[in-house]
Amino acid sequence: MTAVERRFGESPLDARSGGVEQEQAPEAVRIENLTKVFPSGLRALSGVSLTVRAGEFLAVIGLSGSGKSTLLRSINRLYEPTEGRVWIFGREITGAKKGELRALRARIGMIFQQFNLVRRYSVLVNVLAGSLGHAPLLPSLALRFPEEECAKARDSLERVGLRDRGSSRADTLSGGEEQRVAIARAMMQEPQIILADEPVASLDPALRHSVMKHLEAVNREEGVTVICSLHDIDLIQRYATRLVALRDGEMVHDGEPKDFDGATFRRIYGEDAQWGG
Amino acid sequence: MHSGGDEKTMSGYDKEIAERPATWRAHLWPLQAVTIDAALIALCLLMTEFLVLVFWGRRGPTGLLITAEETLELLHYGWGALSAVALALLWNLLHRLLGSSPGRALIHGLDKQEGQVGWVRTLRGWLVVVFLELSLFTGWLITEVEPLTFFTSFSKASDIVRGLLEPSTAVLQEGLVLLVQTIFLAFMATAFAVPVAFALSFLGARNLTRSSLLMRVVYTVVRAGMNFSRAVEPLVWALIFISWVGIGPFAGVLALWIHSVAALIKLYSEQIENIDKGPVEAITATGASGLQVLRYGVMPQVVAPFLSFTIYRWDINVRMSTIIGFVGGGGIGYLLKPRVDLGQWGEVGTLVLLIAVTVWAMDLLSAKIRERIL
Repeated sequence: MTAVERRFGESPLDARSGGVEQEQAPEAVRIENLTKVFPSGLRALSGVSLTVRAGEFLAVIGLSGSGKSTLLRSINRLYEPTEGRVWIFGREITGAKKGELRALRARIGMIFQQFNLVRRYSVLVNVLAGSLGHAPLLPSLALRFPEEECAKARDSLERVGLRDRGSSRADTLSGGEEQRVAIARAMMQEPQIILADEPVASLDPALRHSVMKHLEAVNREEGVTVICSLHDIDLIQRYATRLVALRDGEMVHDGEPKDFDGATFRRIYGEDAQWGG
Repeated sequence: MHSGGDEKTMSGYDKEIAERPATWRAHLWPLQAVTIDAALIALCLLMTEFLVLVFWGRRGPTGLLITAEETLELLHYGWGALSAVALALLWNLLHRLLGSSPGRALIHGLDKQEGQVGWVRTLRGWLVVVFLELSLFTGWLITEVEPLTFFTSFSKASDIVRGLLEPSTAVLQEGLVLLVQTIFLAFMATAFAVPVAFALSFLGARNLTRSSLLMRVVYTVVRAGMNFSRAVEPLVWALIFISWVGIGPFAGVLALWIHSVAALIKLYSEQIENIDKGPVEAITATGASGLQVLRYGVMPQVVAPFLSFTIYRWDINVRMSTIIGFVGGGGIGYLLKPRVDLGQWGEVGTLVLLIAVTVWAMDLLSAKIRERIL
């Protein structure tokens, strides 16, 4: 048992996840001793070990450059880890061959700070892109998808409140709408896990809750595990069920959002940081 | 686990430096720096010697002043190079005393305390200034710049200019016919070049070819081929293809085609290298295959710029095809060459006018279309 798991075992069950004891929930993501050194020599992660249970809403915090993005991108191997292993629901993704890797990625939705939509294509095609993991290759290269996928995409759009925007070009949307399309794209994958890399950092504060609420709904109603890097303490305490912190590529905190206080804050962000939460 | 960050004494940046992997490449920089310095100093020394010799007024065996070209043969290249290497080594050894040498500054970056010193107050700065001055004087002499002749001897060329200003209509009809051929020649060369360049540009983009050793080799081969075919002048390609497929516009099409392929690969692949990698990440993360990532993550970002480059290339090809015609590659240049040789300036004037109008129209059109696409 690692320290993280022990602590996790001790932590009380999450009141919001419907009374399911978390030690009974299966391991959604298991990370062991993950290290990432970039070719430039930058050591973004050093020996991070972490287990995320199914149904958790995990917030990852830390200064810019502390390794949050690298951690998220190492989980679905957008970045190839230098050392360490990662399992997705018991299947190892590190070292997985191409086909297996694609199948695992298809089960992990991802949301980005910059939304990363295909700007010149319609909203509907952007959502349909979420089904590329299993879409037939040749039609997909002509932007054609099976009818049932299209119906699913329209459903997905409806759930983020953009039903009538399907035919608009993605670059005509506002930031908040773009991020909701990105969520719809991730939902199209029918994911078991969603990785969200600072999903609200480039949004107007007024729009942050609208995006976070969609993520929360996905997490609560469908039991999708969410791993989300966030900066805003308010948002963390409002939405997350668990909180881990990175500093210089190492995990320095693991606990519940409600226990997060000024002392912990300074430990993570350094003595100079201002506690405003 | 970790009790906090206080036991760490190294900042993130120091850590990064300390843990940077020591590859053989990393040890090569002093050699590169000295090489650059040696080249720079050698050029300075040789240009100084050249200027001294010229202004000394050296006379050759015939008793006449020797020309700049002849002076170039008298320079002591070996001594220049040798002393330059010695000086460059010395400078790099004494860089704490003399300040970073140009090569060191370029390859390694400046020493810490030097950042604040204005560059004109460093030895390095002075060397560059001296180098530029020497280049200017030497260039003036080597290219035999003669402003006096330029301003006083216009009358000799007045015949030609008069002819150009009074175009003759004798060649107008023939010229128009070949002008049409020129435009189509350029169009066909561009049209044939697009699919080849499109396919190869993805293999010639650095960011898409890092995944395996094989892809890196392919990248290098594509870049090498591209640079070779760009380095060879279209005129030379035209000569090659004329002996291959015979005199005529097809040879011209092929010559411009091979040149356009290279030029378009360069433009296309640079565009691919500059794309926003966000959508690529997003599409990859859905579990899409490599082809699907290209189709959704890369292509939408590059198609409009590709189109714009292509039209620009057609525009260039129209201009180039007039030159191709000089050697028999078809197009309006074919009419131009004999008339220039025979001094029929009136007819040359007509043809030049036709070309000018076409190029101007193409330029206008291509600018308009590209403006609309982007």
